Amino acid sequence: MKRTIHKSALLAATAAAVLIAACGAPGTSGTAKTGKSQDLASPATKSGTLSIITKFADPKYAPFFVDVAKAYESANPGVKVNLQQVGDQPYKDKIRVLSASKSLPDIYFSWAGDFANKFIRGGLATDLTSVVGPSSSWGKTFSPAALKAFEYQGKNYGVPIDLDAKYMVYNKVAFQKAGLSGPPTSLADLLSDCGKLKAAGYTPIAFGNQFGWPAIHYLTQLNTFDVPAATLAKDYNPSTGEFTDPGYVKALEQFQSIVKECSNPSANGLSHEAAQATFLNGKAAMHYLELLEFPAITTKGGATKEVANNWDFFRLPAASDAPGDKNALTGAPDGFMVNQGSKNAALAVDFLKFMTNLQNAQKMTKQIGYPSPVQGSATEANSVPQQRKALEDMASASAYAIWLDTVTNADVANAFLAGAEGIANGSQTPQQVIQAVQKAAAKVKKQS
Amino acid sequence: MNRQIERWRTWVWVLPAVVLLVVFVYYPIVDNIRLSFFSWSAFSTSPAFVGLDNYTTAATDPVFWHSLWNNVLYAVISLIFQVGLALVLAAVLEEVVHQRLRGILRTIYFIPATISITVAGILFSFVYNPQIGLLNRALGAVGLGSLAQDWLGNPQTAIFGVIGMSQWQSIGYTAVLFVVAIQRIPRELYEAAKVDGAGHVRTFLSVTIPLLREMTTLVVILTMSGAFLVFNEIMVMTAGGPSNSSQVLNTWLYHNAFLTDDMGYASAIGTVIFVITFSISAAQILITRRRRVQW
Repeated sequence: MKRTIHKSALLAATAAAVLIAACGAPGTSGTAKTGKSQDLASPATKSGTLSIITKFADPKYAPFFVDVAKAYESANPGVKVNLQQVGDQPYKDKIRVLSASKSLPDIYFSWAGDFANKFIRGGLATDLTSVVGPSSSWGKTFSPAALKAFEYQGKNYGVPIDLDAKYMVYNKVAFQKAGLSGPPTSLADLLSDCGKLKAAGYTPIAFGNQFGWPAIHYLTQLNTFDVPAATLAKDYNPSTGEFTDPGYVKALEQFQSIVKECSNPSANGLSHEAAQATFLNGKAAMHYLELLEFPAITTKGGATKEVANNWDFFRLPAASDAPGDKNALTGAPDGFMVNQGSKNAALAVDFLKFMTNLQNAQKMTKQIGYPSPVQGSATEANSVPQQRKALEDMASASAYAIWLDTVTNADVANAFLAGAEGIANGSQTPQQVIQAVQKAAAKVKKQS
Repeated sequence: MNRQIERWRTWVWVLPAVVLLVVFVYYPIVDNIRLSFFSWSAFSTSPAFVGLDNYTTAATDPVFWHSLWNNVLYAVISLIFQVGLALVLAAVLEEVVHQRLRGILRTIYFIPATISITVAGILFSFVYNPQIGLLNRALGAVGLGSLAQDWLGNPQTAIFGVIGMSQWQSIGYTAVLFVVAIQRIPRELYEAAKVDGAGHVRTFLSVTIPLLREMTTLVVILTMSGAFLVFNEIMVMTAGGPSNSSQVLNTWLYHNAFLTDDMGYASAIGTVIFVITFSISAAQILITRRRRVQW
């Protein structure tokens, strides 16, 4: 019996050794960072299978992408589109697994900023400058700022699909009742308005920070106001980031004041959506949300009639003495990239051209409420007036401040995220937070 | 000749299971250990050998130790509720409660175990909601409003909020395991104890507990391994926050692998989790073998 056990163990061990040897070492087989240059001109005959992955699995958004894929297949009978859609959070895992196993689909979704840059640095994104660069005919159809969000070292690697920006929406009735004539123009005004709104029985700003990112959006904007643009660019770069400018502490202090003076208590225990509900039912006077969320402030989206008919928006105001760019706006487009290793790169580009033509861009805005970066796509027929007004406002922004959690290295972003949660519940001071951020930046710099 | 055929036949039967185990269990374990000596990310093309650096990073990472502490808390509290309390509950159900009620109560206790963790997590997020949550309102209703908290938003209470949900979900399951084991104990032993004048408590201590040793060990192994493998509950309810206060080893591993792209460090955490759970299981199996009770 003992002999048999030993033999079994030996056999299992041998099998394991053989398998390990056969499977090789995952993660060690890499593609060259500068891959072969791809021929991206539209193919004369369109045929083959195109694989695409998006993060739009939410039933509210998924049908648009399914419809586009079907329409492309109908227009090109030789092409089969293999569309995979996963949720926002699972996408972050799935795309990393696909990248590590070198099995990225032909087209994949990406947020702008360092998230996209990782693919570019890893040699996983095709240089699309020749087809979608700002001087190309396709490139000219996009808002230039949106196109620039996917630029890396002067080259274009992404096709923007939607436009997003962060605005403070407000209930005009609540403002009237609190005796406020209009939106605040400086941070000091905002803080003092919060006191008046409280006295009128409103929660000044509905704030739900359960998973940390809503606080990050405040900090994205406040950092842009309080730190000079050149310093910000240097610090957001993983290889040069230090975060020693006093503006960062100032931004954290301002965030602390907003939480103390304006927001509901227990923000960390409330989801963004739960907090939003208090704005939609008229109990909160303001809410900091994304342009993509504007369709929620309609009776169809869950708002009371009073709120749905009486709201407007303004940009989060800067402190009057802020040294940074006061005209920059938090926001960025999302986009699609083409796999550097794709054998169907030209077909992939053709599909993306189809997806972002004016007709589909207008359809996207109408069907799922997403503003498109394609110029002229928002019309009276497919958007609410506030969306069009926001798009005009975005065009007047001096720059987009890309989300802090995607523009910086993930370690730095996480230090900000954990710290902002600490500030929101009063367990950390701005000084402690910035020390953690500096430590994370030093680690990242060392690794870069 | 026949013996040889018999031996080969045995191997043919065993081979599929061996291959599956090797490919899906042993190979990943071995490769994970190998990868923990490299610095690599999902996007990098060239992993760099860093020796024990990832383990030194873990040793100096306060979040790693806090995560480990949270796992230990999870294990201790789970042992108290899912083993201790569930055992008492099972004994009360079998020995004290009237037969008619038993079935209903067993079902009621077991129902939470049939709910998916995601659903239970979302449900408890509502229970703990600081504005409209059932828990704070219940505390207010019984005059304990001062104890009302932002349960999941406060770094001091977030992990306990998640552990509480986990106990609610699992206690019925382990109680039913104990009920089944109690039903296997020969009735004569209980009758003999009764004849000797033993009450419910004495019978529980002197008959039930000793004869449930094997089941208790099994439940302890399951509970402790479960406490070190916990992941979904945290991800659904707090995602490790606020400020990493409710991170456990698995969520910290996930965080490093999929959010900060430090796959090598994540592999090192994975190895630590493997060593802990393997040691717990091995120790408990050895102890049970030595103290097996037979009747």
